[in-house]
Amino acid sequence: MKIKTYPELKESLFFTKLDNGLDVYVLPKQGYRKTYATFATKYGSIDNHFQVEGKPKIKVPDGIAHFLEHKMFEQPEGDVFAQFATQGASVNAFTSFDRTVYLFSSTEQIEQNVNTLIDFVQTPHFTDENVEKEKGIITQEINMYKDSPDWQVYMGLIQSLFQQHPVHIDIAGTEESIHEITKEMLYDCYHTFYHPSNMCLFVVGGVDAEHVTSLAANNQSAKNIHPQGEIKRYFEAEPKAVKAHEKKIQLSVSMPKCLCGIKEVYGYEEGTSLLQKQLEMKIIMDLLFSPSSTLYQQLYDQQLITDSFSSDYKAYNTFAFSVFGGDTPDPDRMIHMIRSNIDEYIKNGLSKEEFEVSKHKQMGSYLRLFNIPELIAHSFTDYLYKNCDFFDMMSTFSRITWEGINDRLRHHFNWEVMSVSVVERK
Amino acid sequence: MSAGFERREYNNMRIHVKPTTQFKTYTMTALLAVPLCEQEVTKTALIPHVLRRGTKRFPQTDQLRKHLDHLYGTGFAFDVFKRGNYQVMQIKLDTIHEAFIQENQNNMLEASFRFLSELITEPYTEQGVFKQEYVDTEKLTLQKKLQAVVNNKTRYAEQRCLEEMCKDEPYRFTALGKLEDLDHIDPHNLYEAYRQLIETCSIDIYVVGDTTTDKVTSLAKQYLTMDRAEINTPFHAHPYVKNRNKEQMIVDQLEVTQGKLNIGLHVPVTYADKDYPALLMYNGVLGSYPHSKLFVNVREKESLAYYASSKLDGIKGIITIQSGIEIHKVDQVINIMKQQLELMRNGEISSNELEQTKAMIRNQINELDDAAFSSISYDYNQIIAGKERNKHQLIEQLEGIEAEHIQHVAKKVELDTIYFLRDKESDNV
Repeated sequence: MKIKTYPELKESLFFTKLDNGLDVYVLPKQGYRKTYATFATKYGSIDNHFQVEGKPKIKVPDGIAHFLEHKMFEQPEGDVFAQFATQGASVNAFTSFDRTVYLFSSTEQIEQNVNTLIDFVQTPHFTDENVEKEKGIITQEINMYKDSPDWQVYMGLIQSLFQQHPVHIDIAGTEESIHEITKEMLYDCYHTFYHPSNMCLFVVGGVDAEHVTSLAANNQSAKNIHPQGEIKRYFEAEPKAVKAHEKKIQLSVSMPKCLCGIKEVYGYEEGTSLLQKQLEMKIIMDLLFSPSSTLYQQLYDQQLITDSFSSDYKAYNTFAFSVFGGDTPDPDRMIHMIRSNIDEYIKNGLSKEEFEVSKHKQMGSYLRLFNIPELIAHSFTDYLYKNCDFFDMMSTFSRITWEGINDRLRHHFNWEVMSVSVVERK
Repeated sequence: MSAGFERREYNNMRIHVKPTTQFKTYTMTALLAVPLCEQEVTKTALIPHVLRRGTKRFPQTDQLRKHLDHLYGTGFAFDVFKRGNYQVMQIKLDTIHEAFIQENQNNMLEASFRFLSELITEPYTEQGVFKQEYVDTEKLTLQKKLQAVVNNKTRYAEQRCLEEMCKDEPYRFTALGKLEDLDHIDPHNLYEAYRQLIETCSIDIYVVGDTTTDKVTSLAKQYLTMDRAEINTPFHAHPYVKNRNKEQMIVDQLEVTQGKLNIGLHVPVTYADKDYPALLMYNGVLGSYPHSKLFVNVREKESLAYYASSKLDGIKGIITIQSGIEIHKVDQVINIMKQQLELMRNGEISSNELEQTKAMIRNQINELDDAAFSSISYDYNQIIAGKERNKHQLIEQLEGIEAEHIQHVAKKVELDTIYFLRDKESDNV
């Protein structure tokens, strides 16, 4: 067991790599009654074409990672929800573009709950019948998202930005694509991506690190899981150009929703350089778009945005994109005002003084995350899969300079690779 | 483990402090409550929107927001919500503790407490009233928020169901008020409403963090010096009064793919009653967890929905059921839901259901103190319900609940309103 101490956070993280390859992280939090645990696999909606060393290449239907997540809850002896309830734990899971995460939150019977979490995720039980039955439930989930303008405008943006990369595929798939899913396909995906060497257990809360680690170690050694070769993931090369500059759909909304995004495609990046890029962009997005910015207040005073306006930057190993927008009565005017404002900054640079304040603001927001076990666990796995240490952000912050920010701004805001997604009133 | 809140009274306000070193921040909330009333509901909703635009010290909104940025990105949020027959304005701040800041920074607790106080007591004014431009813009903001309810179909259905159920009482309004009132609001009458509110409403100030009750009280004495009427409004329960003898069915049509089926149930038990723990168990067994009857029977057994759950408003005495379903299967789902209510009335609750529900509720209660804002919400619920029942007592009372206690409550539960939001295809409406 290794201990890494982060004095500026007043936190200590315990890490062990088990013999079968499973990474176990424990963050004891003094004063906390609850324990929050995530058991995550580096397997999301984008991993639809892959191969395990020595085995054939496989291509799978859209939405299968999410389907698999649903099916894991069904166990040979019944539904695992009931067992967690008996042990006073609230259990859940989610699938994103690049990972599937199973989690529980509990204030009692922590040992049993950690074991149950690991055990149910390591016990696939798929039958023709239970796979068919799930299709009705997931169809309702897909229909729920069809009626959600916020999700539709977001997916619409990603679909206009990306031509080839599977990030443009809706995480839940479509009614047609999930119809093709069989138990054999689920087992193929399961055996590829749910191997311990592709997974990570993160436990945070009122726990003893040594105790939790040995619990996980005992659980795993009893199962005698054989090693697996490397997983190769295949992604078609993504062109630099966007797929479409604009995408419009109609739904029953009170006012149009408009999101803009700018795409970046690069060679492979991970670790500190990716983290630094991400933090620089966070500061830039904050300086441009937060409620303390001049642009925000101008847009707001002219009634071109509402409190729903937001911005974000998402970076992955081979691509990234920014996203900004919200409800607006006039998407064209909103975009025009944003563009001319940013063009000014590209010409004249961002203010050095405001940069310093924004950096402190980002550090403050980062530190505040450490109050909330859920956010620590999710941020940690998110960054882990990009080979970044979530706990080591303060040192990356200190390397960010005003000059670097201005370079990044000029590099990112290339209007030729901007897409706009609009949900109009039906 | 942290103890509960220590309480003081000052200037006809209640001050609640939880000294703890558990968190890296000072968390504070100001809660201003008034009785929900038809004439004032929209003005009350608009007031915090205007307050967040500027103060005497920071007249412009970007200056005000920049000040928060200078305080290491202090978290700031405000909202307006209903609790029983009260309308509550809430302003929340979350500021990093000095120990995590490298540079010499002055007292973060004091700086943010002062900021919070100024937001409430020293709004920016011109010619003795709110600034015209701020009032005009925020009226439009509120208008857009009221219109935007339709964007989230789950919330829309929930609100429409409550609106139909509580047709004859102020609870039918959302906490954001009514569109038709906005035209009649101007800087003068809004400022007048604000003066009245700040003088007479119930004010509760909460602070959680590495401080003491004396310290917070002295900050209150320094910064919350507005004139307060010599009253300290006690809270009263205003449970839902049933006004129909048989269930009503309401159908709305919009452009949707999925149907939203909501059911409103009337329960003549509220937070202050001794049957409240049994009511909490009733709601748990019926629908608030994945092991509950609704989830198991509507989703897991019949694959009819992705979500099917129930929610208890323990202050108002209303349970609402919500689900998203295939439109043509609505009758089947209503039947299954009614069967579950029938099982509850017959006391058909297994010992597993009982134990699992107790364990889940216990866990939720025990978790509360691990998030400062949720411990504040729980505590404030007790204040507004006018009944102190600490976590320990509640858990103890829950442990004693048996199936027959739940059945006793179940027999008093009445199905009031079935609400269905469906597509615009006009057959079978």
